[in-house]
Amino acid sequence: MNDEELANNPFLVLELGATASRAEVERAGQKLLAQLAIGVSAAKSYRTPVGVRERDESKVRIALSALRDPEQRALYELWLSDVDGDRQVVPGWSGAFPSIGWRAPCTE
Amino acid sequence: MERPLYLGIDLGTTNSAACVFDGEQLQSIRTAGGETLTPSVVRIDARGNVSVGARAFRFLQKDPDNTRGEFKRLMGSKNRYRFSAANLERSPEELGAEVLMSLQKDVEAQLGIRPQRAVVAVPALFELPQIKATSEAARLAGFERIETIQEPVASALASGWSADESRGAWLVYDLGGGTFDASLLETQEGLLRIAGHDGDNFLGGRDFDLAVVDWLIARVAESSGIKILRSEPAHASAIAKLKVAAEEAKIELSRTANETTIVIEALRVGDREIDLIEQPLTRAELETISGPLIERSVRVCERLLRSQGVTQLDRIVLVGGPTMMPALRRRLEQAFGAPFGSGLDPMLLVAQGAALFAATAGIDARAAAQSAQVAKGPRLWLQYPAMTPDTSPFVVGRALDAGDGIKAVRFSRDDGEWQGEWLPLDAEGSFAGMMALKRRASSTFNVEVTLAEGRTVAANPAKITLVHGVSIGEPPLARTIGVARADDAVAVYFERGSPLPIRKTFTHRTVENVSPTADYALRVPIVQGDFPFAHLCRLVGVIEIAASALKSSLPAGSVIELTLEVDRGGALSAKAFLPAQDLVFERVEQLLAPATSPEKMSELVAGLEQRAAVLRGKAFREGARRAVAALADFEVTISSVRSDLDAARGGDQDAAEKARRALIECDGLLGDVEAANAWPELSARVYEEHTFASHWVGLYGNEQEKRALSQCMDLVERALRSRSASEIERQLRSMVRIRLSAYFRDPQSWSRSLDHAASESERATDPVKAQSLVRQGRKAEQAGNRAELERIVRELWQLYPVDQEERGLSFNSGVR
Repeated sequence: MNDEELANNPFLVLELGATASRAEVERAGQKLLAQLAIGVSAAKSYRTPVGVRERDESKVRIALSALRDPEQRALYELWLSDVDGDRQVVPGWSGAFPSIGWRAPCTE
Repeated sequence: MERPLYLGIDLGTTNSAACVFDGEQLQSIRTAGGETLTPSVVRIDARGNVSVGARAFRFLQKDPDNTRGEFKRLMGSKNRYRFSAANLERSPEELGAEVLMSLQKDVEAQLGIRPQRAVVAVPALFELPQIKATSEAARLAGFERIETIQEPVASALASGWSADESRGAWLVYDLGGGTFDASLLETQEGLLRIAGHDGDNFLGGRDFDLAVVDWLIARVAESSGIKILRSEPAHASAIAKLKVAAEEAKIELSRTANETTIVIEALRVGDREIDLIEQPLTRAELETISGPLIERSVRVCERLLRSQGVTQLDRIVLVGGPTMMPALRRRLEQAFGAPFGSGLDPMLLVAQGAALFAATAGIDARAAAQSAQVAKGPRLWLQYPAMTPDTSPFVVGRALDAGDGIKAVRFSRDDGEWQGEWLPLDAEGSFAGMMALKRRASSTFNVEVTLAEGRTVAANPAKITLVHGVSIGEPPLARTIGVARADDAVAVYFERGSPLPIRKTFTHRTVENVSPTADYALRVPIVQGDFPFAHLCRLVGVIEIAASALKSSLPAGSVIELTLEVDRGGALSAKAFLPAQDLVFERVEQLLAPATSPEKMSELVAGLEQRAAVLRGKAFREGARRAVAALADFEVTISSVRSDLDAARGGDQDAAEKARRALIECDGLLGDVEAANAWPELSARVYEEHTFASHWVGLYGNEQEKRALSQCMDLVERALRSRSASEIERQLRSMVRIRLSAYFRDPQSWSRSLDHAASESERATDPVKAQSLVRQGRKAEQAGNRAELERIVRELWQLYPVDQEERGLSFNSGVR
C-alpha cells in the first residue's frame, strides 16, 4: 500500500477511529460536508500519518460511501490497523491518534 | 411563505404524477381536470399546438400520427417521433419535457409557486444513458436542478418505511405499464438500501392488455372470419381500438364485476369494416389469459429472494395500476405470505416517495430567490440536514457580515424542551453545534445571537426546521463498472452495489507505441458487467485518444491515469490524463440504443434459437432441471420477440425497441445457462483460490485478514448454494485482494516475482531493457531495498506483450 492509499483511508478522511459506529460515521460526514459548504478552513485539510492532506466534498462523499458498505469497511479497518499494527509503515505513528484527539484504534 | 416545498415527480411510461411535501403533509397535485394522474401522452396538431395529458390521450387512437405515448421506454435512444400534420420531429426527451412542464404548470396553479427543483423517479433498472436522458428532459422543461431517485426506494419511503424499521426485508413489486421491477429493500441503522433488484423490462400492464387483444383477435376471427394482423400497418388503428377496449375491460373486472362485455362499434380492418363486436369476458377467463404473465413475475421475485438468501418477507409494497388485479394479489399472497399494507394508492406511491426524498436531500422546489427569507437581524449562513435519521445532527454556520459583531449563537427548540449551549464564533466567524430532535417528528429551533454590546437578538433566519425520519443510502450502482484491459481482463473500478456518487482513479499503461502522425486512436473501453472477461461485459463507453491529438510520440508502457466517476443520477463521466505530455482527455461516448433493423434482429433470433437448441439438447440429456426451466423462460421471451418484430415490420417503433432489449435479455438468459455449464470450472477456481488464500493468509495474515477471509468464504458458500455465478466472481475478487495483502507481507514476495519475470525476459517487447531491469532488480534485492525492487518488478511487467486475439475480444483496448 502506498502513501496516497494510506492517506485516503476513509477513517482518516472522516477523522474517526476504526470502532466508530454507523451513526458516528454519518454524523461526521454530515458535519464535514456542511462545514465545507460554508467554507470553514479547518475542514479543508486533515492530518494523516504521512502528512497533511486536502479534503473536499467529493473526498468526504467517497469516504462515506466506502464506510457504508460493510465489506469495504472491513478492508479499510484492516488497512487502518495495518498502519498501527505489524507493518509500522510510519515510525512514531502510535502517537498520532491521541495527538488529534482520537482514542487509540484497535487495541485488542 | 415560510414552509419549505418539496416536489416529487413520477414520470411514468403510461401515466405521470406529482406530489408535494411541506415537511409534515403530502399533497397530490391535480390536473386542470381534477385528476391525480397525467397520461404521458403528447399531441401536436397541424398548427403546431402542443397538448399533453388527458387532452392528448383522447386522440391516441383517433389520430396516432400526431399523438404519441409510451416514449419513456425510448429515452436515451436515437429514435425520434414524427408528428406528420405539423411536419415536426421530436426526441423522446423533448416529449418527456412536455409532460414535466404540464406537471410544473399544475403545481403553479394549485400552490402559486412555479417549482424550479424536483426529484424525479427513475426505474431501478434504467441504464446510464436513460438516466441522463431523464435529466435532460427536466432541463428542457426549465428545471434548474433535479435529482433522481430509484422508484422502488421512493415507493418504500411512501409506504411507511421508517427509521425504526430495524431488520427485515421488504419486497417492492412494481408492475407498471411497460416494465416489471422487483426490488428487495432492507435497513441498517436507520439507513435504507436496495439489497438487490431484478426485473423484466418487457412485462407490464400493456402485455396484459395485449394478451387480451390477442384473445379478442382470435374471437373476432372465429365469429367474422376477418383476421386482424399485428404485422399489417393498415390494421394499426383497429389494434389500437382493441387495446383500449381490453384495458377498460381489465379495469372493470379488477373492481367488482364478475363479467363484462367488450363492445366495439364500426371497427375498420384495412378495407373491411366490422359493424359491431360484442364479446363477453368473465373474470375467470381474464385470469386464465393473464395467468402466465403473473407467473412470470412471481418467478422473477423468487429468483431475487433466492439470490439474496431471503426466506421471510416482512412486507410487499405493490406499485402500479395492474397490481389492483385480485388474481395477482391472491397469487402473491399465496407465494410469499407477507402483508401488503393498506390505504395506499399504488398509482401515487412513487411520486409521494420522491417528494419525501426531496425533503431528505434538502431540495426545495422554490427558486433560490423565493426561498430566501425576508427578515431582520444579523444574517447567518446555516447548513443542516432538512431530514435525517440522526437525532443529534450538527448545525454548522457562519456570520455573513463581520460588522454585526456576533459573539455567540444559541439554538432553542420551540417546544421549550431543549436548549443548546451558547456556541462561540471562531476567528473565521463560524460555529458548529449538535441539536436534539424529537423522534419521528419535525423540530423547529429558534436561533438567537449575542452581540458585542451584550444584547441578545433573533438572528436571520430566526427559525430553522429539522425532521427526524428515514434517510436513504445513496442509490447503489446497478452493475459493476470497469475498464477493459488489452488482455481481455477487466480492471474493476466500482463494484455492483457501490453507493453513488463515486469516483476512482487508477494508473494504467499503454500497450503500444503511438506516433502523432499515425491514423490511429488509443482506445480505453469502459465496460459494465460482473464477468472477469471484458468480452462478456457490455461496452458502455470509450475514451478515444486520437494520435493527432498527441504532442509527441507516446511509447508503449506510458502511464495513463484514468478517472471514472458516476454521479447520483448514474451519469458516467471519464477522464484520461497522460502525465508525460500533460494532456487531459475527457468525454464518454454514451452508448445510444442502436437502431437495429427488424431484418437484422430476425437473424439474431435465428442465431439465438440455434444456441438454445444446443443447450436444450444437453439439458435434457443431463436432466438439468434448472437449465430446462431457464430455457422455458427463453422460449416465452423469444416468442414475444417474434410477435414484436412482426409489429416492428408494421412500423411500430416501440415494438422494435422492445424487441431489441428482449434480445439482449434472451442473450443473457442463454449466457446464464452456458455459465451454469461452466459451473465445474468455476467451483474449481473457488477451490484453487481458497487454497491459495488460506495458505498465504495462514503464513503472513493478521487477525483482520483471517477474519475477512473466513467471512468471504461464508459468502462464497451462500453464492454456491444459490448458484449465483456473478456473486461468486465478486467474492473471488475480494479473496484475491485479501490474499495479496497477506502475500506481500512476506519479505520474499517481490524477489519471487522478480525470479518469475526474469525467467520470461526473452518474451518482453524490449528484451534488452528487460534484462537491464532484471540486473537492477537483483542489485536492489541484495541491498534489501524492497521499495525499489517493487518498482522495478512493476516496470518489468509492463514489457510483456499483449496477445492480439485477446485484445480483439477486449474492444481493442489500448491500455492495461
